[in-house]
Amino acid sequence: MNKVKQKDLILYSGLIILGLAAPYLFSAFKVQLTYLCVLIVLAMTWNLQGGEMGYNTFGNILFYGLGMYLTASVQVGMFFPLAEWTESGGEKTFVHTTAQYFQGIGVGLLVSAIIPAIIAGAIGYAILGLRGHYFAICTLGLGIAAGEIAGGIEIIGAGQGFTTPPFPAEIVDTEARGKFFYFLSFALLIGTFVFVKYIYGSRFRLILNAIRDNEDKAEAMGIQTMKYKIVGWMCSAFFCGLAGGIMGGLIGYIDSTDVAFDGREMGVFMVLMAILGGKGTLWGPVIGATLFHFFKEGLWTLILGWQYVALGVLIVVIVVYFPEGLMGWLREKYPERFGEVIDEKDRKAQVELK
Amino acid sequence: MNKIAKLFVTFISAITLALVSFTSSFAKVEGEYIVLGSAISLTGKYSSNGVHTQNGYNMAVDRINKMGGVEVQGKKYKFEIIYYDDESNPKRAAQLAERLIKQDGVHYMLGPYSSGLTKAIAPVTEKYKIPMVEANGASRSLFTKGYKYLFAVLSPANQYLEVAIDLAVEKNGGKGVKIAQAFEQDAFSQDVRLGILDAAKRTGSEIIIDDKLPKELNDMAATLAKVKAVKPDVLVVSGHTKGALTAIRQISEMKVDVPMLAMTHCDAAKLSKQHGKKSEFALCASQWHKNLSYKDKFFGSGKKYAKDFQKEFGYDPPYQSAESSAALLVFKDAFERANSFDRDAVRDALVDTEMQTFYGNIKFGPGGQNVAKPMILFQVRCKGDDCENRVVAPTKWASDKFYHPIPKWSERS
Repeated sequence: MNKVKQKDLILYSGLIILGLAAPYLFSAFKVQLTYLCVLIVLAMTWNLQGGEMGYNTFGNILFYGLGMYLTASVQVGMFFPLAEWTESGGEKTFVHTTAQYFQGIGVGLLVSAIIPAIIAGAIGYAILGLRGHYFAICTLGLGIAAGEIAGGIEIIGAGQGFTTPPFPAEIVDTEARGKFFYFLSFALLIGTFVFVKYIYGSRFRLILNAIRDNEDKAEAMGIQTMKYKIVGWMCSAFFCGLAGGIMGGLIGYIDSTDVAFDGREMGVFMVLMAILGGKGTLWGPVIGATLFHFFKEGLWTLILGWQYVALGVLIVVIVVYFPEGLMGWLREKYPERFGEVIDEKDRKAQVELK
Repeated sequence: MNKIAKLFVTFISAITLALVSFTSSFAKVEGEYIVLGSAISLTGKYSSNGVHTQNGYNMAVDRINKMGGVEVQGKKYKFEIIYYDDESNPKRAAQLAERLIKQDGVHYMLGPYSSGLTKAIAPVTEKYKIPMVEANGASRSLFTKGYKYLFAVLSPANQYLEVAIDLAVEKNGGKGVKIAQAFEQDAFSQDVRLGILDAAKRTGSEIIIDDKLPKELNDMAATLAKVKAVKPDVLVVSGHTKGALTAIRQISEMKVDVPMLAMTHCDAAKLSKQHGKKSEFALCASQWHKNLSYKDKFFGSGKKYAKDFQKEFGYDPPYQSAESSAALLVFKDAFERANSFDRDAVRDALVDTEMQTFYGNIKFGPGGQNVAKPMILFQVRCKGDDCENRVVAPTKWASDKFYHPIPKWSERS
């Protein structure tokens, strides 16, 4: 057992070193790498609901968008009147000092983690009683409604969009902004991974699985399923909010339906990535997101105009040939490579019992 | 677990290899080519205008290259553009701008289509000090952010329909009018709205309907039902191409009678072709019209440009194409005056731009907007089933008189 742990240690330190070195090794790709980190976070958190709990949510985009608006609003609102910043036409120019910028984004991210979690709790209380496709459709509406509502609130820019504070001009290094957002998102990725891994080793995951496999039985066994469902969703919302906050700062411009509550793209992508990699596994969403991102960045520009057709084909291929995702497919093909020797022993034990 | 680990390590190293082999950096100037970059909406809700923009760019690149190219330090260079599809999505546009600059090594940018996307790209070009000449981002807020590397060849969006309100007031004997308006929820249309609010305040007009339209715009029946009930003097609609098409379609279906209908994007939507007589009397704001008498040595006059464009792409050029072509003329001029490929030298040359193109005079104000060119208004007029856009304001360019009020549907054949 210890030996395995040591190997894990090597793997993780290797990955962390790679992650830390990446913005220097592939300096030109910093933004794509930042996107990758955020995509992995979104896929992993979606997997908590869709994969572990069996509740296919399209609503996580709500927390992502909320995080985006909250971070930017706090970052501006702490130092300047928010209404004047976002006022249509924006006659006045406000400039954040370096200290203000970082304080603002720090507090903003904190808020963008907590408030979405609270909102997830409240909404979850109301709708987590729904099951199966009723829940899916209901959450689909959440993101769309949020986008339309945000598009009508003047103080956050409404249809004009919200330009987030520019990176402080006093920092002359043009690479600094890219590095800052990369490391921020990488830290978030590590945080999310550690958290999800912790959940994977805990009773909490078993409860989520029990809910997925048979909710009524789980309830009959005395598990307060509602409580766990809500807590699970709040955990996802926490990290989704942070991811949104970072993305808002990186993109620099928040549009209600195209950037923040972007259910059509991000909302679908997070589901797709988790399914591509294999839902209900720790590494599946990570691998799915990585593959998806490379597919998107590498191929999309080569097939201009046809990229959504290609995406459609990809979805069909995944669903038809890899319904359990890549991890599931590999696991079925090479079960022994997944450390399923325990199964072997079990089987022998069972044979002996007979 | 360790097996998965191995798999993952193999996977990561494969990716690393792929990444390294992907890093092929173009230079800003490669051989005899000056490489420009642009993210354009080839898919998504702005795709038709994105294509107009791209056609405009390509037309100008071909023409300039054919006529000797750009001369810098005694050597002739040709233009080349790297395009990406931004899918009409600001998030994607910002990412692609970064990609053009960092990975493709582009040092000079052409703008995307629409204000929202330009807003998303401008912070990126500004950060890397990349001069961007844009032709399709008209939102006023673009020019108040203190951007130093952003240059727009077009007039700001709030000027689009102000003139129309003035016209309506004039027709009303100088008294304020009742305005009904509906605008798409996006940066450009909301800016047009601001212009109307200003004009209303100035003329003592009253806004009686102020509706917001959704982004994927294909129904505005609710607004039109209200218009039917309260009978305003002017109806103002702005929502890019889809807004113009939807408005005409539903106004004619519902037989909404309104004395004056002011819109944007009529020519991009090819209203006079698509809806024919139904679109007659619509008043449209435009950055350009082929009948204006501006000239340059590359395209000759507006009429000549329209003819060449028609031959090349098979349709009459909307102003989106014309202004996009003009952006390249501005770049050429700036390169030659800077006589250098240094980004800041080119930027400084852009600041001093003062030229006439077939599209209009171009001179940049302190915010980067074009201050030398007025907006024009045209009205769709038909002879039999043949409809075309006639310039009606300002009077200097007008080829026709402004027809007011629009006859009732019951009186129209």
